Amino acid sequence: MATRDREEAAPPYVAAVEELAAGEPVAVGAPATLDIPGRARTDRIGKVVAYAILLALALLYFVPFFWTVMTSLKTEAEALQGFKLFPENPSLHAYREVLTRDDLPFPIFFRNSLFLAGTITVVEVIFCSLGGYAFARLRFPGREVLFMLVLATLMIPDQLRLVPVYLLLTDFPLTSWNLTQTFRGYILINVVTAANLFLMRQYFLTIPKDYEEAARLDGAGYFKTYWRVMLPLATPALAAVAILSFQGIWNDFFWALIILGFGDSQKLTVQLGLAQFVTQYGGNWPAMMAAATMAILPVVIVYVFFQRYFVAGITAAGVKG
Amino acid sequence: MAVAARSKRLESVGGERLREALVGYAFVLIPMAIFGMFFLYPMVYAFYVSAHDWGGLEGKLGYVGLDNFRDVWNDEQFWIWPPEFHSGTALWNTFYYALLVVPLQMALGLTVAVVVNSGIRGRGFFRSAFYFPALTSSAAITAIAIYLLNANGLLNAGISKIVGRDFTHPWFGDSSTALESIVALNAWTTSGTMMLFYLAALQSIPTDVYEAAAIDGAGIWRTFWKVTFPLLKPAHFFVAVVSIIGALKLFDQAWIVSSGSGGPAGSTMTAVLYLYRVTISEFNYGYGAAIGVVLFLIIFTLTLIQRLLFGKAEIGY
Repeated sequence: MATRDREEAAPPYVAAVEELAAGEPVAVGAPATLDIPGRARTDRIGKVVAYAILLALALLYFVPFFWTVMTSLKTEAEALQGFKLFPENPSLHAYREVLTRDDLPFPIFFRNSLFLAGTITVVEVIFCSLGGYAFARLRFPGREVLFMLVLATLMIPDQLRLVPVYLLLTDFPLTSWNLTQTFRGYILINVVTAANLFLMRQYFLTIPKDYEEAARLDGAGYFKTYWRVMLPLATPALAAVAILSFQGIWNDFFWALIILGFGDSQKLTVQLGLAQFVTQYGGNWPAMMAAATMAILPVVIVYVFFQRYFVAGITAAGVKG
Repeated sequence: MAVAARSKRLESVGGERLREALVGYAFVLIPMAIFGMFFLYPMVYAFYVSAHDWGGLEGKLGYVGLDNFRDVWNDEQFWIWPPEFHSGTALWNTFYYALLVVPLQMALGLTVAVVVNSGIRGRGFFRSAFYFPALTSSAAITAIAIYLLNANGLLNAGISKIVGRDFTHPWFGDSSTALESIVALNAWTTSGTMMLFYLAALQSIPTDVYEAAAIDGAGIWRTFWKVTFPLLKPAHFFVAVVSIIGALKLFDQAWIVSSGSGGPAGSTMTAVLYLYRVTISEFNYGYGAAIGVVLFLIIFTLTLIQRLLFGKAEIGY
């Protein structure tokens, strides 16, 4: 009974890190199929009910996106005809319209978003894995205190940081640079997150010490042990951090709006451009849906290929964004 | 001689210790510098700025003590007393939103989690499908919602079919339904994340309790309410706190549906949108910092409750 109490009290993210480490769901709990008289009928009813709910829910989750893509292929007139599902002559004209605007240059927005998300992802993976490894394995005075500080940053909401971070960037210490409306400023404040560093540390803690001890006996230094032995073993966690980081930056609206704003149309991200498009061309539904589809697409592609890391990473790192 | 060898070994152990410590510091140096500069220092700095009259062009004008907080207290755009929903005040809008969206997204998240976990075929596929809206950016999903809920949109076309006459209610354009429409949108998008939390918790329920329930002849409905639901209590707490904190931070969707104005008639003016307007549009940094501190205290109290309930496991000792 005591053991069960403990299992019940385990919060979701503990299971998530285990899942990431084990490579598959740590399934203790899928309802069992048993040979009990009468059980088969309950099971059948249960299945039918489950599939009915499932179908209704799948429609609820699926239809809006299907409708979005269909509308992006329609003419403006067709988009206004209520239930008209399929376009008469599906065409990509709405996509062309979005991509060839002079006032809102979406190709530049895509380049900006890819640059920011790519740069931050690479740098974050490096720093979070280095830091996570040090906090998990290396012994140095003050380690626990520093790690508590890392966890403390999780308690500081972006809303409290808005004014001070903005002021800090308008007049950067020592250099007096104004880093607002610059990619440098945006990258600087987003380049490491405590949640991802925490995830890396938790993962390194699950790796048996034997590996590094063997490497150390072979005379490998600390960096080499980290680079050659620990990093390859931590691939699932690295993937999770990379994906969360890319998605977080690609989708980010709050900090992009505050740091980059709308001052310079060459410096918008895709999400800012889309928000601006909604403001200015609200009634042009095919173009708006084409822009929305393109804004979603990169994350969807990443998701399709790296789903497992996504799911475990999100549960482990908590809600982001 | 034995003593000399021993002291030499000690020395090398000491040297090794020192090396390990130096490498450790080097590895955490940059992350700690970033955390210090953009998280820990700003936290202190926020309190400092909030105690000053601080404008965008003029810069720091002078120490004003708690004046900014007194202004927040008396700010009828921020909150009024007695509480009144649909009053266009930022804080009550936010609480009203949280009150509606939290139970909705928890219920929806739990429902899909239980269905996905029920041993159906294609578990992975459905899990991905339900998580899909949570992947999409707030800007894209809000653009889609604006389209679906416009006066001639899909939702109204559906309602028109059902009621048999033209129904053209502008959901985001009417102050009595704008915030509620964001509730529906976000309950839907966030439920995928809530599902993941619930799924992880469902998987840690041991199988034998289901076996016991089955042997006792409990049907699926009874098993759910008498066994699964109570066993998920820690997950309910966790998910509730996460969703309340998330709800209090509502910003993106409110900004996008109203182009940053909080309209129509202040109905989508949330606390964070108000903070944004005071700071970025009106350059009133001192006052903005004070609002930030007030929001922080509200969120911090909730986070503390969460950490007290789950703290040990989170830190991993």
